[in-house]
Formats: sequence, C-alpha cells, structure tokens
Amino acid sequence: MAPLLAARGVSKSFFGNPVLRDVSIALQPGRVHALLGENGAGKSTLINLLSGALRPDGGTIEVDGRAVARMTPALARQAGIAVVQQELSLTASLSIAENIGLGAYPKRFGLVDYSALAARAKAACELVGLHEPLSTPVGQLPLGRRQMVEIAKALYRKPRVLILDEPTSSLSATETKILTDLLERLRSEGIAILYISHRLNEVMKLCHHVTVLKDGICTADRSLEGTDAAGLVRLMVGRDPGDLFPQWRPSPSPATAISVRDFSAGLMRDVDLDIRTGEVLGIGGLVGQGQEDLLLGLYGAIPARTASATVNGAPGLPGGVPRANALGLAYVPADRKREGLHLIHTITTNMMLPAFARLPALKLRSRRAERETARGLATQLGIKGDLARQAQALSGGNQQKVALAKWMPHDPLVLLLNDPTRGVDVETKREIYLMLRAFAAAGKAVVLLSSDTPELVHLCERVAVVREGRIAAMLERAALSEEAIVSAAMGAENRKVAA
Amino acid sequence: MTGWKDSAGGRRVMAILSSRPFLTVAIVAAVWIAASFASRGFGAYGHLRYLVELGAVIGLVAAGQTFVVIAGGIDLSVAAIVTVSAISLPLLSWQADPTGLAPVLAVLALTTIIGLVNGLGVALLRVHPMIMTLAMATFLQGLLIIIAGGSAVTAENPLVHWLGNARPAGIPAGVLLWVAVSMIVLTVMHATPFGARIFAMGANPLAAALSGVPVTSTTLAVYGISGFTSGLAGVLVLGMNGQGYVGIGDPYLLASIAAVVLGGTSILGGLGTYAGTIPGAILLVTITALITVVNASPGWRSILFGSLILGLLLLSGREQARR
Repeated sequence: MAPLLAARGVSKSFFGNPVLRDVSIALQPGRVHALLGENGAGKSTLINLLSGALRPDGGTIEVDGRAVARMTPALARQAGIAVVQQELSLTASLSIAENIGLGAYPKRFGLVDYSALAARAKAACELVGLHEPLSTPVGQLPLGRRQMVEIAKALYRKPRVLILDEPTSSLSATETKILTDLLERLRSEGIAILYISHRLNEVMKLCHHVTVLKDGICTADRSLEGTDAAGLVRLMVGRDPGDLFPQWRPSPSPATAISVRDFSAGLMRDVDLDIRTGEVLGIGGLVGQGQEDLLLGLYGAIPARTASATVNGAPGLPGGVPRANALGLAYVPADRKREGLHLIHTITTNMMLPAFARLPALKLRSRRAERETARGLATQLGIKGDLARQAQALSGGNQQKVALAKWMPHDPLVLLLNDPTRGVDVETKREIYLMLRAFAAAGKAVVLLSSDTPELVHLCERVAVVREGRIAAMLERAALSEEAIVSAAMGAENRKVAA
Repeated sequence: MTGWKDSAGGRRVMAILSSRPFLTVAIVAAVWIAASFASRGFGAYGHLRYLVELGAVIGLVAAGQTFVVIAGGIDLSVAAIVTVSAISLPLLSWQADPTGLAPVLAVLALTTIIGLVNGLGVALLRVHPMIMTLAMATFLQGLLIIIAGGSAVTAENPLVHWLGNARPAGIPAGVLLWVAVSMIVLTVMHATPFGARIFAMGANPLAAALSGVPVTSTTLAVYGISGFTSGLAGVLVLGMNGQGYVGIGDPYLLASIAAVVLGGTSILGGLGTYAGTIPGAILLVTITALITVVNASPGWRSILFGSLILGLLLLSGREQARR
C-alpha cells in the first residue's frame, strides 16, 4: 500500500548547518509511527518539511505515493495533513470554538456560520474530552486543556494524516489516557499518525513503528516489536543511557528554608508547608490545580497572603520578585519562551539578566567580565556555540539550560522550578536531574513542580500532591510511588463509592 | 583563500557597516552631498551647523523617547511637555538669581515630575502607555491655554538666552548640550545595568519581572527621563526662539518618534540604540530644510514631510516579524 505521506531522502540546512541529511520516512494508514530523537536532532524540521512549512534542499515529499513538486501548507491542508505543534499556536483571546475553527470557519452568505461552527467544534471537543463551554477564551484555560484544544483543532479538519509534536508534555495522566485511547481509535479508522514524544513508555505502548533521528541522520526505521526502551535511548544518544535518574541519597541534617502557615495565592488555599534545606520537594498533581500559583506566590510574583511565614530566616513573604531574589529565591518558569528567556537578546545577555536586576542601577558594566561569566556557565552546562547569538537560535533543551544557568552565579538558597524538563530531550533531562540533586546535596532547597510523575518519584524526598488548590497529600520518601501520586492527585482515597 | 571579511577585524567592520546607526549616518551624508550640489549654500558650514542646531532639539526630545520605546512603551506627551517647559520658564524668572539657573532647574524638575506621573499611570495603574501619555498631553494643553492664553511669553533668563544663542569655540551651545546629553544617554543605555533592564523589559516584560528586574521603578524612571529631556528641549527651543507660546512643541511629537524609528530602534521595544536616533534627528531636519528649499506652500510642506518620513520608514524602518 502506498504511504499517505512520505519523505524520500530529504535534506535541509539552515545557514550552512545541515539539520537533516538524506532522511526518509513513510506514514502508512492505520499505523502509529513514532519519531524519536533528542532536541536538535531534526524532528521539528522534518515535520515542517512534511507539512509544507519548509521546503527541502534535496529529496522529495510524496502524497499518496506521488511526488509533490512543491509542498505548501495550503497543499498539505488539502491533502488532509494536520499538525499539532509543540509550541501552542492558539490565540488566547479567542474562544475555544473560534480557535478550533480558525482558518476553516463554516460560512453562510459570506459570514461565519456560528451555529455550524459550534456543532462541529463540539464534536471535535468531545473526542478529546473537553467539556468546558465552547465560548471560554482559550487564555483562561490551563496549559493542559489548551493542548487538548490544539488537538481538537487538528481533528476538526478531519485529517487523513495526523502529526503530533509532543502532545503529552503538558497533559495530566487522565488527559494522556484520553488521548491515547483516541489515537488508537483514529488509527483503527485508517488514519496515519506520526507521534513525537520524549516519554518512552508512551511510545512503547502506543506506537508500532519507529524512526529515530540523531544529529539529522536516520539511525533507525523499524517496527517497534522486540525493541525495549533502553534500546531506543541507545539509538537516540548513540551510547548506553545508564540510569536516567541519578542515585538518590538522603540529605544530611535538614533545616527549614521556607515555612508558611495558612498560605493563599491564586488558586491555592490554606497551605501549611515547610521546605527544608538539602531536599528536593516535589509538587505533583493534575495539571492546573494551583501548583504554579504556589510557586509564584512564594516567589512574590503574584499576590499572596499568609498567617505566618519565614523565608531563609526573614519573617514574612518576600512580596516582590526583587526581594525574593535578595532572600535567595530563584524561579525557573515552565514556558521558557514566554516567561524565561529574552529570545531576541543574546545568550550572554540572558544569562546576565539577574545580575543586571541586582547590581546598582548606574554602575558601569564590564562586557568582558560578562562574556567570561557567560562562557563559564556555558562550559559548565554544556551549551555549545557562539554566545553572541540570539537565544531563539538554541534548541529547547539548551534554552532551558540558559533559563537555569542565569541563576547560578547568584548562588540561590531555594530553587523554585516549574516543570523544568517539559519538552526536553533525555540527555538534557539527565543533566538537569544531576544538577538538582547536586544542588540539594550542597544544602540548598529545591522545589520541583513536575507533570512527569516518574521524575517526582525518583528525585524527591517528599512530594506534595495538589488537588483543587489544596495540598491533598504529603507523601514521604518511603510512601512514594507513581500509583500513590496519581491516586492522591485524583482524590482516589476520598472516593467512597466509585461512580 | 579567505577574504578579509572572514577575519575578526573584518567581521567587526562588516557589523558596523551593516548596522542601522551607520546606515542612517550614510543616508544623511548622501543627502547632504547631493543637496550641496543641487542647491548653492546648502553645504556651507554655517548652514550645516544650523541644521545640527535644529537637530539638537529633536535629538533631546528623542533621547527620552528612545528610552521609553526600548522599554516597550511610547510617550505621546513629549510635545506638550516641551511646550510646558517653554511657557512656564518665562513665568518663573525671579530677580534673586542672576544666572537664571534656578528657574531652569525648577522647570526641569516640573517636567520630570510630569514624566513620573506618566510612569505611575503606566506601571501602577496599568493604563496603556499610548492612552496615558495622550491623556497627559491633552490635560497639559488645556492647562497651558488657561495659564498662557493665546499670547506668547518672552524669556528674560540669561542662561536660557546663552543656551539658545552662544557659540563657544564656534559651536552652538545647544549642540554642545546635545553632545553632552548624548554621551550620558549612550553610557546609561549600553554600559549600565539600568540600561540592560530597559532592554529586557522591552523584549519580554514577563521574563524580565521573573528575573528580578524592578519593573515598576524602571518604568517610572524611563518616563521620568523622557519628561526631563523634553523639558530640556523646551528650554533650548525657548532660548533659540526667544519666546514661548502654546503649540511651540507640536512638531516634536512625530519628529521624536520618527527619529527613534529611523535610527533603527524597534517600535516593539527591546532592540535599538540612541546612536541611531542621533543621525535620525539630523536626517529629519535635513528633510525639512530641503522642503523649504523647494519653496512649497505650508500645506504642501506638511504633505511632503509626512510622505518623505513614510517613504524613508518603508525603505529602512520595517521590522522583521518576531516569533
């Protein structure tokens, strides 16, 4: 059978740097095809070639076995190719229905036919388990729900080929389950699916065939049968991955770094929490239950109230970010493009920003000292290349490293991390884990908000599971397991009778 | 064989040659040379000196505007602040101070406070900069009409007179003032943490705030600076003109924004330099001078000026879309 969509020997370079070299991939109907590779391996570029967003330097794109002379996004749409991008492409101020239909609104007498739109959008939403009113502005939804809107948007177009770029990186366990069931159904209906994920367990469960990219070269194109997760990682990194998570060791003599009583901020209510030095404290739960507000409230970035608080020995909450920084708090946001980095500024400038924020306003800068500090941080974290480039030139994993690195010269006492490994390749994940453990071992406190449950189990001393704005459970190391976290997150222990 | 362009020094030269400030300087030079051939007297030293002197007023207003625009805002009250400065100064002359310094400082303090109020509205009340500063401009214009009415006020301040007319070592005092301000502005912008904060705020205010940049005080500061430099421009224009009247500052609103954008500063914030605004200001007065040479009626002059600015911006000032 001819593949619905295929690339034959495609190559692509950016500014003389080859990103893809002679890569072929064929998407067959009724098959879930996994595309694996570290960040910067060329996955996104390959998707962009398949969907007509970019043109290959060499090779051809084929639809239904016929070479397309010049693939364009419009042609791809006509051919029934839908892409769910990793970076969400939704418009925050438009409603769910408007976002889903955007660019393909049903028309009546030249006007948008809103009732037809609502009916079709509703059908797409039901497929992905979105029950919010269709008129809700997308900006009001938590990240995980926005991702579901993005998927509904692709389904609305009745695709024959569905390409998903890390769809689960911001989804909760339940949402992930809905998605995997949905993909299984679409597959049985004969749709070709290309699935990109850094979560190998998902890939092993869901996919049948795998293409692995490493540094722009295809290192595997084969059936997933008889392959194990370790084998896949080897194909991606070209070496034995070892244990993804570093050895866990208890931390010596903890002291209290942050202590709050009756703390409220944003969605969070009545939180009593002690954060200890030398520990990694996990914050888990379904996406969007208020975890982020807990971090931002402690950091002084959103208003917070509390009955009593001490932060690194000082009474009261910081109440503002500069004060929080002065007290030794540092925050690494989840959305690095929007909240973490200045994409149009150089890597060096990004790394120096916390210093600029703290130094006396009119002290003269030394560009040379700045370059040296940045170079030191880059070497330490393995960020390669010219640091005078704009930050947007970096791959996602390296951007995350920069977002972390900028705090390092300030030696923070408490590191607040908001999903730091989201959409980051395996190798970078491991580096980040090592840094976090080393940080805790040095007697600092790490607060790790994560949507990746294994991460919480393997890295944390304790995990606070948040549900509906409250800490539903505080799991100690001995009681930590993925099951325990998930059941606390879903409120399983409170549910007397299953519905 | 590798060309000179690939050497380190060559790359630096190429970077300068392709930078926007240099491009703007090159346009100014080209226009000056072409105009000197076309019109007798245009290229005379005295005339070019006069152009730079006129450019100083725009340059001063645009100094504050550059700060505000890089920080991601815009100041539409600069013209009104220039007028406030030029009208309130003559009203403030008192005998006890023979140098005239005290009234000048008082007026600069006043215009700085006006700028700080703009900053308060933008930073604390979260009013959009365009609305805040436009409302401020309208408010000030009303106040000026009440205070000064339709009549011009004459300045009898020795310092202001000196600033507008003296030529130490053959260079107009206003130009010297501009040079001094330019050096301070460039230093603050590119060589201090304060300058770096402004760029960070303009490029991504949320990321800047989460990195500990004191957003409120920095916003206050940039609008305060804009009020100060507009006030300074008002003092200079009063000295050059001898009289202040309602509307004296009007030409400087579009001119200040055009100078900023012609100089390559992104109107979206986060990128740019005052080093481009300087030739941008000179380019604007040059265009005005050329239009005067053509001998068109006032209506046509405005139409020509507007079209030329638009044309220049289309040629050089368009921005690449940001991801």
